[in-house]
Amino acid sequence: MATIAVPLGAQAEQQEAETLRRPALTDYLRWSVDHKIIGVQYGVAAFIFFMVGGAMAMLIRLELWTPDLDVMVSGAAYNSLFTIHGTIMIFLFIIPMWAAFGNFVVPLQLGAKDMAFPWLNAFAFWLIPPAAVVVLLGYFVSPAEAGWTSYPPLSTLFSGDGQTLWALGAHLLGISSIMGSINFIVTIFNMRPPEMTIWRMPLLCWAVLATSIIAVMATPFLAGALTLLLLDRVAGTTFFDAAGGGDVLLWQNIFWFYSHPAVYIMVLPGMGVLSEVLSVHSRKPVFGYRMVGLSSMGIAFVGFTVWAHHMFTSLQPELRIPFMITTMIIAVPTGIKMFSWLGTIWGGKIRFTSAMLFALGFLSLFVIGGISGVMLAALPFDIHVHDTYFVVSHFHFVLFGGSVFAVYAALYHWFPKVTGRMMNERLGRIHFLFTYFGFLFTFFPMHVVGMLGMPRRVAVYVEAFQPWNQLISLAAFVLGFSSLIVIYNVIKSYYHGPIAGANPWRALTLEWQTTSPPPTMNFDDDPIPFEDPYGYGTEASAAYLDAVDEAFSGAAPAKGGGH
Amino acid sequence: MTSTVHRGQKPKLGVAEMRLKNNRLGMTIFQISWIMVFLAMIVVNWQLRFSYAEWPPAGVAPFDPLLPTAATLALLLSSFLVKRGLDALRAQRLGGFLTCWRGAMALGVAFMAIIVYEFASVSDAAMATQYGITMRLMTGFHFLHALAILAIIFRVYRGGAAGRYSGDAHDSWAVEGSAKLWYFVTLAWIMFYVVLYWIR
Repeated sequence: MATIAVPLGAQAEQQEAETLRRPALTDYLRWSVDHKIIGVQYGVAAFIFFMVGGAMAMLIRLELWTPDLDVMVSGAAYNSLFTIHGTIMIFLFIIPMWAAFGNFVVPLQLGAKDMAFPWLNAFAFWLIPPAAVVVLLGYFVSPAEAGWTSYPPLSTLFSGDGQTLWALGAHLLGISSIMGSINFIVTIFNMRPPEMTIWRMPLLCWAVLATSIIAVMATPFLAGALTLLLLDRVAGTTFFDAAGGGDVLLWQNIFWFYSHPAVYIMVLPGMGVLSEVLSVHSRKPVFGYRMVGLSSMGIAFVGFTVWAHHMFTSLQPELRIPFMITTMIIAVPTGIKMFSWLGTIWGGKIRFTSAMLFALGFLSLFVIGGISGVMLAALPFDIHVHDTYFVVSHFHFVLFGGSVFAVYAALYHWFPKVTGRMMNERLGRIHFLFTYFGFLFTFFPMHVVGMLGMPRRVAVYVEAFQPWNQLISLAAFVLGFSSLIVIYNVIKSYYHGPIAGANPWRALTLEWQTTSPPPTMNFDDDPIPFEDPYGYGTEASAAYLDAVDEAFSGAAPAKGGGH
Repeated sequence: MTSTVHRGQKPKLGVAEMRLKNNRLGMTIFQISWIMVFLAMIVVNWQLRFSYAEWPPAGVAPFDPLLPTAATLALLLSSFLVKRGLDALRAQRLGGFLTCWRGAMALGVAFMAIIVYEFASVSDAAMATQYGITMRLMTGFHFLHALAILAIIFRVYRGGAAGRYSGDAHDSWAVEGSAKLWYFVTLAWIMFYVVLYWIR
């Protein structure tokens, strides 16, 4: 086997000295145009919001321990609690969290030195803290009560001034999201090395590309909807007021034209992560690479045609069936991904690392969320369970069982690259067990109470549902506790984890062909991608990986692996 | 060599070329993205028409398209002059660039003056219905964009007058970029113009 040109660097001695050239912690608190710093800034900020939103979820479950109103002072207080919970989790946690991994990993996977527009990248991040302050301030001033979907007339006639601040904050977050997405698209199209055609691009990049296309096309509709809401609230217009010739359905149409595609913004990058993690940790090529890349695009495209399934009960009857059909069609590209993942791990040399466990967790939970999604797409069933806990269960299965599990898989997978140290695998497994079973027993029983007729968004419920709710609350507290384990693990591993080396997982994508953490300009030499980003199991790939190991340390990687 | 790499398939771009390529693609994506807000406003206008049996609603006089048509022509001409100016700069004729952009800005101001007049003269009867409200929403929203981008055009013009830009595309991105923003304003207005004044 001939030698392969891989980036050689002066970093070899760094590894021997076991000193990591990591940015100082204070660098993360400053304005920086380095995509790696910005990625961590996004990630830490989003995780803090995850904890805040999670604490609110704990309060919600505490309130629902008994059928009566006991923890919250009023039903209105409960309304604002779940409103801020949903808002934080969607706008401040999951969307920025994918910007974190996209920022850190995508330029590295493309062998680029940075994003296409580094300054814009930093600006997009720094819009988030003020937006968060505005949204959270609203909660303490006079909170919004209309849920994260903010349907008028609840959001126009009943909510307090917090609703206005909510809309302003969401506006800023939308602008941040558009700017970030423009950056991703340009980076992915223009900054690939000459050897990497679009069909050799890692699947995370495909997923981020599809996500960004959705974000640039759909988020302006959110901006439009929020502008109308603000005008109705402060300028006395009547866009949503039937008495003034307005129409409440106008909000639902425009809002869901953004927000349904936005659920794919929340989960598509996770699907990209899954393709990476499953392939690397089962040492097998991705099954049906092209179809997986194209199915991301398919989801992005079909995602624009399904929004009105959120309005089945308020929509003109003749429009329901077409939207039911498009909604069912979107299960096809999603199914392609599902089968690709199963085909990828089938017969693979599976290593049950924490990253792999969370990826498998995603696989098992997302399929449940997907199936309940198809059930909800069926009109007669949807009308039966409309606004019940069945719906709550469905979207937590796709957003927590899907997205959050993928976030954890990505964390365990790329933490060594970000910090240069490995996560503690034992703690990772414990974290997985608590999260998986905590999640399952929190959200699976919600299917049952939903089918039995328990409505969502109420603090007071029929006594017969109490045993179910107590089970759910207990499991939710376990789930809440589980996130403390990962925080402990991250902090402990950041200081004391084993040195990772350049490529601890023996992965073929380019982010692993540089030191951990990478130098400021990412690569000392232009890296040469392997012919197939997932070509595991061939002699050529083993030779390539050996050459990488040799180039960066000469020492064996922290964790051995096959080829 | 086991790794089939194809070095030199595409020549690797220099920093300046890459920046220009990124700027151009970024601007295109921004234009496609932000035009969606204007489309959202058109959807608003379109959906609210269904609240009424006829459009404009009974008892409301339709807007007179005469002045808005003049404004639209002014804006189109302004965009054309911006393009002419950019071409002149590319051909190293700084004087031609400055003259064209002066004319473009004058026409832009004329356009905005007419729009302000139209915005102010919506009748109370129209304002009692969505016919007037959506008109003010759309023209007002567009006006803010036109104002901001005209300010950019003015700033770039001053830079041009100070001799900041050569004809080379790599160091006159500000001229090209601001021109493209002005085309965007023009396109967005034409969509609104058709919806507001011609589709009944």
